[in-house]
Amino acid sequence: MGAASAILWAEWRCRRNAARGRGRLGRLLFAASALLWYGGWAAGAALLGWYVAHASAPEPARLLSQALLFVFLYWQLIPVLTATPGAAPDLGRLLVYPLSASRLFRLELLLRLSAAPEMPLVVAGAAAGLLAHPGAPVWGVAAPALFAGMNLLLAAGIRSLLGRLLARRYVREVLFLLLVLAAGLPQLLVAGGGLEVLRRWLAAPSPRWSPWGAAGTAAFGGGFEPWAILAGWSAAAWLGGRRVFARSLWAGQRAAGASSGRPDAESRWRRATRLVALLLPDPAAALVEKELLSLSRSARFRLVFVMGFSFGLLVWLPLLLEEGAAGQSWRVVEPLTLVSAYALLLLGEVTFWNAFGMDRGGAQSYFVSPVPARAVIQSKNAAAILAVLAEVSLIALVCALLGLPVSARRLGEAYGVGLVLALYLLAAGNLTSVHYARAADPRAPWRSASGRRFQALLAFLYPLLAAPVLAAYLARRLADSEAAFYSVLAAVFVLGAWLYRCSLERAGVALARRSEQMLAALRESAGPVLS
Amino acid sequence: MNAPAPAIETRQLRKLYDGKAAVDGLDLVVPAGSFFGFLGPNGAGKTTTIRMLAGLALPSSGEIRLLGQPLGADVKRQVGVVPDQSLLFDHLTGAEFLEFAGRLYGLARAVARERAGELLCLFELDGAGGKLIADYSKGMRKRLEMAAALIHRPRLFLLDEPFEGVDTAGARLMKKLLEEQVRAGATVFLTSHVLEVVERLCDRVAVIHEGKLVLEGEMAALAGGRRTLEDVFVSVVGLERPAPAPRWLSE
Repeated sequence: MGAASAILWAEWRCRRNAARGRGRLGRLLFAASALLWYGGWAAGAALLGWYVAHASAPEPARLLSQALLFVFLYWQLIPVLTATPGAAPDLGRLLVYPLSASRLFRLELLLRLSAAPEMPLVVAGAAAGLLAHPGAPVWGVAAPALFAGMNLLLAAGIRSLLGRLLARRYVREVLFLLLVLAAGLPQLLVAGGGLEVLRRWLAAPSPRWSPWGAAGTAAFGGGFEPWAILAGWSAAAWLGGRRVFARSLWAGQRAAGASSGRPDAESRWRRATRLVALLLPDPAAALVEKELLSLSRSARFRLVFVMGFSFGLLVWLPLLLEEGAAGQSWRVVEPLTLVSAYALLLLGEVTFWNAFGMDRGGAQSYFVSPVPARAVIQSKNAAAILAVLAEVSLIALVCALLGLPVSARRLGEAYGVGLVLALYLLAAGNLTSVHYARAADPRAPWRSASGRRFQALLAFLYPLLAAPVLAAYLARRLADSEAAFYSVLAAVFVLGAWLYRCSLERAGVALARRSEQMLAALRESAGPVLS
Repeated sequence: MNAPAPAIETRQLRKLYDGKAAVDGLDLVVPAGSFFGFLGPNGAGKTTTIRMLAGLALPSSGEIRLLGQPLGADVKRQVGVVPDQSLLFDHLTGAEFLEFAGRLYGLARAVARERAGELLCLFELDGAGGKLIADYSKGMRKRLEMAAALIHRPRLFLLDEPFEGVDTAGARLMKKLLEEQVRAGATVFLTSHVLEVVERLCDRVAVIHEGKLVLEGEMAALAGGRRTLEDVFVSVVGLERPAPAPRWLSE
């Protein structure tokens, strides 16, 4: 395992070197949160061990099976969660080294283990409980161990299969969107009485043929059958996992020059972007067109854009339905506006906070060509505004299709608030885009390019930047008047325009001055396995 | 009649990284209309110099004049650049990128589009013009970058290892095009580690070592007869491996 340990060591060094950039406080916070998280899991594992050790028959077998079902779900979900946003390790990058497929598979297993270290903790807790249980044979501890091995093999296979599927156009976005939409599942479960069904399902004994059911029975000496079932599952996971992994390893190495199945050069969308030239002269038009084309072809942007009028609507659906049923407008904030504002937050990292991130090396074009830095920023801002307008329009369209109330007044408010909010976000975003530029992978839909410190800064910035718009709503509530609302909105628009102008000047100067640092930051990449 | 201004003129050009000079007081004059080779061992300061000339890095001190003017939008319009690292946008097609580059340099859309098509044909990328640049090979990317550097017919080319990764036919085409541009009055300033190429193409060379200019002159005067450019280079900067190879490597 010399090569494997070298790779793991290099990966660890890369992460450690990256962590050094966090600063002392950041490192401390990171260590404290890790301690809290894994400490919690360790405590949970100890508790499970205690329950297994002290429960009387037939409880321990059922309890163990349920715990193992949880382990199964968690372990198998992790590859989906990490591979879908594009944060999964890419072992294909190691193909240049003299490592056989089986060695790489073993490495993949180690990575699967490191991807969910909580689960070995839980399994260890269960095993300790088994050892302490007077009714369980000593060799019964092999059952959760075998179960853990099977999970590891299965997780490797699932991740490899996902990797292959996710390379296909739109699959990654669709899967990620489904995952995000699944976040609304608890609400639906509670509303639809599904919770009771779930409770009954969990209370019932686990099926004998299931790996967790078999492992639970085998651990308490349940005869030959559960062991045979568990061995069968493990063998299938080993054969399937290895096979899928080996096939995926080379399938991911697409030949240079091979098409990713994308654009036809003269698509309708391409022609539509050319309309920008009717409004703007070159080079601004060229820059905006480029921005629109690049954004629309980036999985990252497409995902947040689609989420705006799907997930955003789902989150606020109860409010919208309530209002539809009541047949009257919500007094302070229009739900349509709320969804639009939420969609703007989703667009944040791609269009406001790190506008140069996806340009990467291409950003050099702005510096070698005779285009003022200010014009480059303005064109990015223009594309962002177009995205905001399109997003609000789509939200309104979906609302109308769902039969939810959409009127000219509501639309006017949504567009107005959206634009004013966008103006403030752009004013701040232009500065962060230049001063905190980070390389962002346009193919990875959700991997954040921003550091933790910057995320913390955003938590402070969002309410601050939304405050002027909130002031307009406050005026509406206090004065109970639309005129007051729009007067304040107009005033904060003027203030926002002034702020935007100031920040544009500063960002333009900084862009010219900080070209090197920015270009260097846009070229950064991570470790030997993570891209 | 006044002599044309030098294509490149630097005075006491310095670039510091963490207090250490990557380029240290560079005084360089590149005559207009020359095919100029800028040489040096790895880490000598070639790329830093070319990045400063192209506007990709700011000098710590010193002065740069290109085509007789300080570096700014006016002069950038007359410069074509192929930097050390790709400046392409992965999510544009080859044709779209060329049109985009042409328009940034002030060409009308129709002209940029027409030239983009012609350049794609010239660089044998017409079959790939509708593909995303993300799908291009390294050589195709270099060809596209060279096409983008040519699209506005610049008077000065700043090229950092332009033939790297390009196949024989592509490199031959690029050399031929550059020679034609020089014959038509343009200036080419290029870095390359392939000294045979520099010796064949360039009429003037300069060698930079540890950030300082250590040699500059006409190719004919420096190399010729039995003395190759490589001999000159080694005599100026020394062998790159002063320490003996480890025994396990030489056995």
